[in-house]
Amino acid sequence: MANRIKTIDITDALPDIDDFCDIPNARISGEIFHRQDIYEQELEKIFARCWLFVGHESQFKKAGDYITTTMGEDDVIIVRQKNGSHKAFINACPHRGNKVCFSESGNARGFICNYHGWSFNIEGNLIGQHESGIYESSQFDASKWGLREVAQIDSYKGLIFATFDAQAPSLEEYLGPMTWYLDALFDNQEGGTEFVGGCIRSTMDCNWKIAAENFVGDILHAGWTHDSAARAMLGGAVSKVSDFEESYSVNWNGHGYEFALDTVGNVAVLGESALNKYLHTIKPSVIDRLGEFRANMIGSVSSCTIFPNFSFLPGQNTVRIWQPRGPNKIELFTWVVVNKTAPEDIKEKWRKGAMITFSPTGVFEMDDGENWEYCTKTARGRVTSQQDLFVGLGMDTYLEETDLPANVYSGQLNEANSRAFYQYWGDLLKSPSWDAMPNNNKGKAKAGPKASQISDKTDGIGEK
Amino acid sequence: MFYKSSDHLTPVSVEEYHRISTLLAKEYRILDEERFSDWLDLLHPEIHYWMPGIENRRRENPLEYGFFDSKHMAYFDDAIRDIKRRVSRFSQPSAWAENPGTRNVHIVAGIEAFYGEEAGEYCVYSTFQNIRSRGLDEEYIFSGRRYDTWSLVDGVLKLKKRLILMPNATLTCKNINTFI
Repeated sequence: MANRIKTIDITDALPDIDDFCDIPNARISGEIFHRQDIYEQELEKIFARCWLFVGHESQFKKAGDYITTTMGEDDVIIVRQKNGSHKAFINACPHRGNKVCFSESGNARGFICNYHGWSFNIEGNLIGQHESGIYESSQFDASKWGLREVAQIDSYKGLIFATFDAQAPSLEEYLGPMTWYLDALFDNQEGGTEFVGGCIRSTMDCNWKIAAENFVGDILHAGWTHDSAARAMLGGAVSKVSDFEESYSVNWNGHGYEFALDTVGNVAVLGESALNKYLHTIKPSVIDRLGEFRANMIGSVSSCTIFPNFSFLPGQNTVRIWQPRGPNKIELFTWVVVNKTAPEDIKEKWRKGAMITFSPTGVFEMDDGENWEYCTKTARGRVTSQQDLFVGLGMDTYLEETDLPANVYSGQLNEANSRAFYQYWGDLLKSPSWDAMPNNNKGKAKAGPKASQISDKTDGIGEK
Repeated sequence: MFYKSSDHLTPVSVEEYHRISTLLAKEYRILDEERFSDWLDLLHPEIHYWMPGIENRRRENPLEYGFFDSKHMAYFDDAIRDIKRRVSRFSQPSAWAENPGTRNVHIVAGIEAFYGEEAGEYCVYSTFQNIRSRGLDEEYIFSGRRYDTWSLVDGVLKLKKRLILMPNATLTCKNINTFI
C-alpha cells in the first residue's frame, strides 16, 4: 500500500489578519504581497488544505500515463491507474527524499529513485531496491514505505483536483454552485473538453494573489491595460464593458466568475473569425444542453478563478495555474483547452490564438506581467506596504432576487469577486480547521428553475 | 535526441557566407534599433516563424522531435499575419508597458550556411543570445539555436522558415517581448 500523507499540525494564526485584510471596509494592504510570514501561512493554511487543480483527464490516455506538477511548493506526480482512476503522490522518495520523477509528462511502468534505486509501481507501492538483501536482513517492511499519496483526489468534468487535507470538504462541496458556471466552458458539448498538448511554463516576479484576483473578477483592467493588444489583434479597441446591458459577478468559497452574455466577446480578440463562427454554430446545441443563459457565456467577455490559483478565460480558452514560489514570485503553467468534438482546424486555430494572446509571448499577457510585477515590487517599501489599497467597487450590487446560483452581483465592472476572494483567503488564514470557517455564502446552492432562461437579451453584443 | 539537422548539405561559397552572415548581423541590429518595418521587409510572405515550447521528457518518451512537437504549445508559431499583429502591438501608443521601452541586444554566433534543397534556398544555422533590460534594473538573458531557411526573391534574401530552440523548459522571465 502506498502511504497516506500524515496530517501536519496547524500553527497559530497571525495576529494582525484583520489589519491587512479588512474586507467589510473594502481595504487590503500591500504587505499581503510581500511578507514572508504571510506567505508561509498561505502554504500551510491554503495550499496544504484547499483543493488544487493538478491536471486534465485528457492528459492521461492509458495506465501509467503521468504528469508532474506542484501543489503549492510540493512536487507531486499524477498517474493514471489500470482502472482508469488517477492517483497523486508526493514526488519524493520516502528513503532520503530525492525526487523520483523528473520529467513533466510521459508513460511509465513505475518510478525508480536515482539515489538508492527504490522502485515504485504506478499504485505507489515499493516493489524493490538496489541491494535488496540488506533490507531483508534489517527486517524492513516495504509495505510501509510506498510513495506518499495525497489525501483526496477527485475530478469535475475532466478537471482533476487534489488536496493534502483529509479533513477538507468534498470537491463537490468546495466548488459548490460554481460548477453550474464551469459547464459553460467545460461541458458545452457532448464529450466535454481536452487540453492541447504541451504546457508553457514561465516565471513572473509577482505575488500569486495578484494574478488569481485578476482572473477572479477584474475585467475593469482589460479595456485600459490591453488597449494596444486589442488594437493589434482586432484593428480596434476591445468591447466597452460598461456598454453591456447585462453582466454579472458571481462567487462562492472565494471562487469567482465574472461574465457578460455576449457569446463571442472573448473569442473575438483571437482575431480568427472561424472561431466566432464555430461558437455561433454550436450555440443552438448549447441552448439544448445548458439553456439560453449559459449558451450566451461560451465565449463571452469573462474570466474565472477557482480558489486559490486555477484560472481560465472562456473564448480565449487559456487555462493556467499560478504556482506560488515565494511571496514575490510565481511559476505560470499555461494550457489551451478545446472542445473534444471541435473540428481539427478549429482546435488548431485555438492553439495558436490562445498562444498569441495569452502566453509569455502573448500580446495581452505582456501588459499584465508588467502591472502584476510592479504591484508586488512597490510592496517592498516599508511605508508603502502599510497603506490601504481600495477594493470597494460595487458594494451595493448584491442580487437577492435571482434564480442564478451562488452569490450573484449585478455587473462585471465590480470588485465583489475580489472582495470575496480576499475574504475567503483571510478566513482560511484565521481558521484552525474547516469546521471553523465562517460561511459567507448567502446565495443559492443550486440554480433555481428559471436560471437557464433568465436572460432575454440578444447575443452578439460586442461582436466584431 | 535534440532536433537533428542534416549533415549532407553543401557549404556555401565564401562570398555567399559573407553575404548571409552580414545579413544576420544586420537583422539583429535593426531589431535592437526597433526598426520593425525594416525587419518585416526581411521576411518572406510565406514565412513560418516557430519557437516551440520545450518539454522536459524522458528519452524513452520522445515527442515528435524529442523535446518538442509541432502540434503542441509554442511561444511562436506564426505566419506573416501573426508577426504583423505582434509588430502592430509594439507600435500602439497605448502599449503602456513599452514606455519606457525595452532595451535589447541580440547576439548571433556560430553561423553555418549551406545550399538548400531548392534552388535559391539556403539553410542557415546559428546560435543566439538575447539580452533585454527594462526599467531601472530588470535584465533578462536567454540563449538558443536557430535553424533558418532563407530564400532568394528577386535576388533578395528573405527569411522563409525559422525554428528557434531554447534549452529551457521553463522560461525564467515574464515574457519574450522581442523577436529572435
